[in-house]
Amino acid sequence: MGVENPAEVAKFIIRSRIADPLFVYSYFSQLPDSNYSKLKYIISSSVTEACNNSVLLLGPRGCGKTAVLELVLEDLLKEHPDMISVVKLNGLLHSDNNCALKEIARQVCMEHQLQFSKMASFDENSKFLLSILRECGLAHKTIVFVLEEFDLFTEGKQRLLYSLLDAMQSVSSQAVVVGVSCRLDADQLLEKRVRSRFSHRKLLFLSSPGEDFQRLAEHILLLPMDSRLPNDFRASFNEKLLNILAGEEFKGVVDQLCYSDSTVSHLLRFLFCAVCHMDLSSGSLSIQNFKSALPSIQRQPKQEALKDCSVLQLYLLVCMKRLEVKEVELCNFNSIMKEYKSIPDSFQTCDNFARNVCLRAFEHLLQRGLVSFQDNRGQGQSTEFRPVKLLISWHELQQGLQSFPSCPVLLHKLMAREG
Amino acid sequence: MIPLFVYGGASTGKTSTVLYMLRHLKRPFIYCSCVSCYSPSILFESILNQILLHRKNESGGYLSAKRCERPSDFVNLLGEALTALIDSLNGNMGKSSPNGRMVYLVFDRLELVRECDKSDSIIPLLFNLYTLLSCSVLSQFYRITRRVDELSTAFSPLFKKYCEPLGDLVAVSNEDMERKLYRHLQPFISSSQNETFTISSQPLLKDRNLRKCVFKKSGVCETLDEIDFHMSTSAKYLLISAFLASRNPATLDASLFDSTGGTDNRKKKKRKVSEKSVDQKEAKEQEILMKGPGTFPLERLLAIPQCIASVGGYSLDNEELQNDGLRSDGSDSGSMSDILLQLSSLCRVPILLPKVESCPLEGSTRYRSIVSEDIVLKVARSLNSDDSEFDFTLKSLGLNGGLTFVCCCNPFALKKVKL
Repeated sequence: MGVENPAEVAKFIIRSRIADPLFVYSYFSQLPDSNYSKLKYIISSSVTEACNNSVLLLGPRGCGKTAVLELVLEDLLKEHPDMISVVKLNGLLHSDNNCALKEIARQVCMEHQLQFSKMASFDENSKFLLSILRECGLAHKTIVFVLEEFDLFTEGKQRLLYSLLDAMQSVSSQAVVVGVSCRLDADQLLEKRVRSRFSHRKLLFLSSPGEDFQRLAEHILLLPMDSRLPNDFRASFNEKLLNILAGEEFKGVVDQLCYSDSTVSHLLRFLFCAVCHMDLSSGSLSIQNFKSALPSIQRQPKQEALKDCSVLQLYLLVCMKRLEVKEVELCNFNSIMKEYKSIPDSFQTCDNFARNVCLRAFEHLLQRGLVSFQDNRGQGQSTEFRPVKLLISWHELQQGLQSFPSCPVLLHKLMAREG
Repeated sequence: MIPLFVYGGASTGKTSTVLYMLRHLKRPFIYCSCVSCYSPSILFESILNQILLHRKNESGGYLSAKRCERPSDFVNLLGEALTALIDSLNGNMGKSSPNGRMVYLVFDRLELVRECDKSDSIIPLLFNLYTLLSCSVLSQFYRITRRVDELSTAFSPLFKKYCEPLGDLVAVSNEDMERKLYRHLQPFISSSQNETFTISSQPLLKDRNLRKCVFKKSGVCETLDEIDFHMSTSAKYLLISAFLASRNPATLDASLFDSTGGTDNRKKKKRKVSEKSVDQKEAKEQEILMKGPGTFPLERLLAIPQCIASVGGYSLDNEELQNDGLRSDGSDSGSMSDILLQLSSLCRVPILLPKVESCPLEGSTRYRSIVSEDIVLKVARSLNSDDSEFDFTLKSLGLNGGLTFVCCCNPFALKKVKL
């Protein structure tokens, strides 16, 4: 077995760790004052004391709300095996009341091995829900309702929320409602009667700052004791990795990454890219891997679209820009063609194409998303007459021209000239 | 594994690379294109059919395996189907079966989902499909856009032309010969560049290059083609009159379609017009041209061909009596229904577009002509070549590069004004 194999195994181990959210967020569970422990305390206390409760988990996307919730539920299921049953609903799928009740009935039936009838009507399902709550209350079993995308449940009349929270008001029921949402003002969206039945517990998940990330990276990237990996390989890999993570360059890369988005999932994607770039022959991660992963995370779609354009399309874009500078109020394909035809008058060029070719190139620009129609009203007219607008700025166009491989000098001159 | 997004310009090989790679590695995958699955229920059912290996056939009445309209049903059914599939893959370890336990879902041309009806709910659903499938099977998610390569249609005739002098195509070419070949090809390159985006109709492309060229002052060689579709004479008249009605305002009709052929205007003494008013008039005409074709009511469309036709001594029906040169003025009753039939077929092509917002109380609907000038010129020229005494010419007044079309019916002049 050469050096290839341990590196591949290492890559495989790290990638599977990154893709497993439970592993990633178990790091957070070790911290003493984290949301994990608070949430666990809330749910476990309501289980043991047999009372009803509701809580909202709020935070931007990719912060780990659902993952932390999964961890908590997993731990609680281990601690109190028969006292908890979980029903999961999602706002994208079940925001409609009928759908939601059907789904609740289906999940409860699956868990308790009851017969589930697809033809059950809305009334039957709601009666079923009430009776289930009553029965579980009598049996000292808590039902945990997990409502993901909670803000989508608050659209419309909020019947589901009201019926759930109302059912929880009775003495005989034992239920916990956990809402997970990316909108930080999700509780303001609730109706008055629903809000009054809701206990205003909120847990805020904020994205982790930069220096936390280093410890998280260590947690993920350091190779564990594994039978498939030779010990010396593992030791050298970990040592090199620690050196990199402590270095200044790495901190610079992470800072640049966190400027746009410092949520955990964003950083995880960055780590995944970096590990994919790992050179198998050298057998370890290098700082170069991290640096090359950065541009693939921070993409520039318009620049890429510009690089993809043909020279004729660049001419059309430059003509549109010049029209904008001249403040022509009607900018459609005809006016662009006029500007384009006026170029050979002042410059000698061989790039003089016919009108239908230019029209087709223009349509490709529309499809690519570099220009668009100004409004959707003119559906009856053909492409030549509808007013259009540029979707890239002067600065981006100039950058695109400079990085274009064989850009004619004429275009630069045209951009520079005002008239 | 984390979902993957493949993006890029048209015909860059995205779909082909992905599918080829999956087939080469023999991974089980499910492919659905958002071009054919334009609504959510079709999308869901297509995916489920592929997973359940169900083909629509006549015995089943072309039904899908399961009816699925709501996203919640889809997620449930998909989860069940995927677990069943993975179990069957695990159990069946024969040589012909695909490798691996991971099922790949490929969504092609995902940008079309934006335009389908319920796009608000479908887009987040598809993006979050990965997280919604909280079962033990992981699926990967590709998004690809794709388009047909248009350059091949242009290059194939060029290549044929390129190879013409070479009697023996197998002969190895050296650089000298290549240069000679290129020089031979060069005059045709510019003309075929202008035809880059044409899609050829049935007549062979070779004929186009051999057609006689008309040389303009600038020395650019342009081929004037005949129209290669068939239209009845009355339809041609309607097309031309629709074009004229769109481009000229209604107030000019009286002077243009005067039965004396407009010769009166020329005899009138021309006042000395000041330069400023000429410029203003030109600017206004330019503006009208830029804005595009205007709308006209149905009565105007029907009146113009009558004027044109009555001058030329041609009646709009009885094409078979053309040779007699009949000047039948009692045949108006028969022509009206023919014209209306032609009108509806023109609307379907579409050469005419009815303006959508017109109120039915206002009277007849207004129409707008959307053909370009060169097609109208071709049609007019084809009318010229018909055997009739009537000489229909279109005279163009060039105004700083813009064109205003004026119809000039001159039954007696034999001079043809060419563009």
